[in-house]
Amino acid sequence: MISESIITIKGLTKDFPVGSGYFRALNEVNLEFGRGEFAGLIGPSGSGKTTLLNIIGSLDTPTKGEVIVLGKDISHLNSQESASLRKEKLGFIFQSYNLLPVYTVYENVEFPLLLLNLPETERKKMVMEALEWVGLTQKVKSRPSMLSGGECQRVAIARAMVKKPIIVLADEPTANLDAENSHHILRTMATLNQELNTTFIFATHDEKVISYLKRRITLADGSLVSA
Amino acid sequence: MIRFLFKGLLRDRQRSLLPVIIVASGVFLTVFLHSWLTGVMQDGIELNARFITGHMKIMTRAYSLDKDQLPNDLAITGSNELTDSLNSRFQEAGWYQRIRFGGLIDVSGSNGETRAQGPVFGIGIDLISGNREEIKRLNLETSVKSGHLPRKAGEILISNEFANKLKVRVGDKVTLIGSTMNGAMAMYNFTIAGTVEFGTSSLDRGTILTDLIDAQAALDMEDACSEIVGYQKTGYYDDELASGIEDCFNELYSKEDDEFSPVMSRLSEDNQMAQLLAYSGKFSGIMIAVFILAMSVVLWNAGLLGGLRRYGEFGLRLAMGESKGQIYRSQFYESVMVGIIGTIAGTILGLAASWYVETYGINLGGIMKNATMMFPSTFHARITPAAFYIGFIPGLVSTVLGTMLSGIGIYKRKTSQLFKELEA
Repeated sequence: MISESIITIKGLTKDFPVGSGYFRALNEVNLEFGRGEFAGLIGPSGSGKTTLLNIIGSLDTPTKGEVIVLGKDISHLNSQESASLRKEKLGFIFQSYNLLPVYTVYENVEFPLLLLNLPETERKKMVMEALEWVGLTQKVKSRPSMLSGGECQRVAIARAMVKKPIIVLADEPTANLDAENSHHILRTMATLNQELNTTFIFATHDEKVISYLKRRITLADGSLVSA
Repeated sequence: MIRFLFKGLLRDRQRSLLPVIIVASGVFLTVFLHSWLTGVMQDGIELNARFITGHMKIMTRAYSLDKDQLPNDLAITGSNELTDSLNSRFQEAGWYQRIRFGGLIDVSGSNGETRAQGPVFGIGIDLISGNREEIKRLNLETSVKSGHLPRKAGEILISNEFANKLKVRVGDKVTLIGSTMNGAMAMYNFTIAGTVEFGTSSLDRGTILTDLIDAQAALDMEDACSEIVGYQKTGYYDDELASGIEDCFNELYSKEDDEFSPVMSRLSEDNQMAQLLAYSGKFSGIMIAVFILAMSVVLWNAGLLGGLRRYGEFGLRLAMGESKGQIYRSQFYESVMVGIIGTIAGTILGLAASWYVETYGINLGGIMKNATMMFPSTFHARITPAAFYIGFIPGLVSTVLGTMLSGIGIYKRKTSQLFKELEA
């Protein structure tokens, strides 16, 4: 039973054109996510996990069906509105960290707040708080090239969390990390989920991640197997 | 946000230093080539004006029709009076009589037989009267390679190359064999006072300079001359002024039904000069257009490659909540910054190189040795006011245009595609 529904997916189908035909990545998916969930989309490569995550994140649109995220129908958002949704309510964590290499740790984490036009003093407070969550307050002036993979992913988590989004979408966040760093990262995210009541949705086939999930949604060939 | 982006731009050399170098290089080439071509054209025009066409030229109507044949039987008579009249009526210019003639130079041996002979082009100008205007105009003092300028009647200057070919030296006597104004054979002895290098292959091949009075004596042209050339006192050719003087003169002095009446033409009406003047005006425009096109392609590619390299960054920024429009605008601002910095750097370098070539010149005499048109052997650049801003057209416009064109890819690609490239 979901307490406060923030994502509702009904009859979601996504086709990608391939040659003269198309490839069906998602087929009639129905799902619902509540506030504060720690859920994961599980399945092998090509099962549609990333496609589903992209549509929830308003980076892509459905071919058919309805996806309502925080009260907004993704199919009907224009470019500005979907950008605004991502800017204010969503956080992303990527497999390969994707930190901006020319900026320091502090500046990378500050970036989402600049888009929100927050004053500098407030930005500073929020950045330092986020870096404290991930234990990197000593590395504020370091560039990504000076950090380990685990530290880079912690910076990425801080960047995703700094604006305190309602939903964080994490696509294979531990794929490039060793076991120790993976557990560290996952513990951090689990703690933030508890403390900030942020909804985390993972796309993963990593057993370590799966072991931390409170809800497991299995996909196979674009269809929902279990939710 | 602007400060944030600017910081990134400065730190990422592939986004700042490399494009600035590309833009600066293109602008450098544009500025330098503009100055160089302007200099070459103007050097050519001025050289021709100094030696051949003048800013304005008076000939008889009949002479003007066959002027390339140097038909001195159709020369101006009563030239002294006409010159005085011109000097008093048209004081915006100075007026000088000249005789142009062709013939043979014969060099005799110790027994009086011909030792060497060659066709010659001669110019009779005022060399020894004490008025040094023509000497200055033709830059003769610094062109003398050996000997000295003629000091008395019967002395000539001979082009250095021609003297070497004839194996004559300063002090040797040579005989001009030609045709008098009346069509009789002319033979006149001269003494070589000095050898000169005119700096233009067509003159250096075989030219002598005589005093006007000597030429008149040699060719039976007393109180006559081939042409009267006029030079505007500003030192620069002004077509509008020349046109006004020309109209006034022709109305007063020229009669259409009298082939021996004088007629004035101006520099821009000379066949070769007209083309050269037209080219010099259009050439810069064509060159700038070609450069804008070429640089747009280069910078478009640079922008495209830079853009492709940054699709990952764009994907991230989209995920963070920036809109495509914001990213496109930030690219625009970046390209404006890169364009301005690159253009200023390129313009400074271009002006420095142009100044060097303006001062010292580049000697291309070897290439120009067979030229039939008069061009200087040493080419100089000429820095004009346009050189200070011409680089902004390709430097700024093309850079921004190239970036804008490559940036369209952001709009053409789906957000999810950019996002996938981020993950690639």
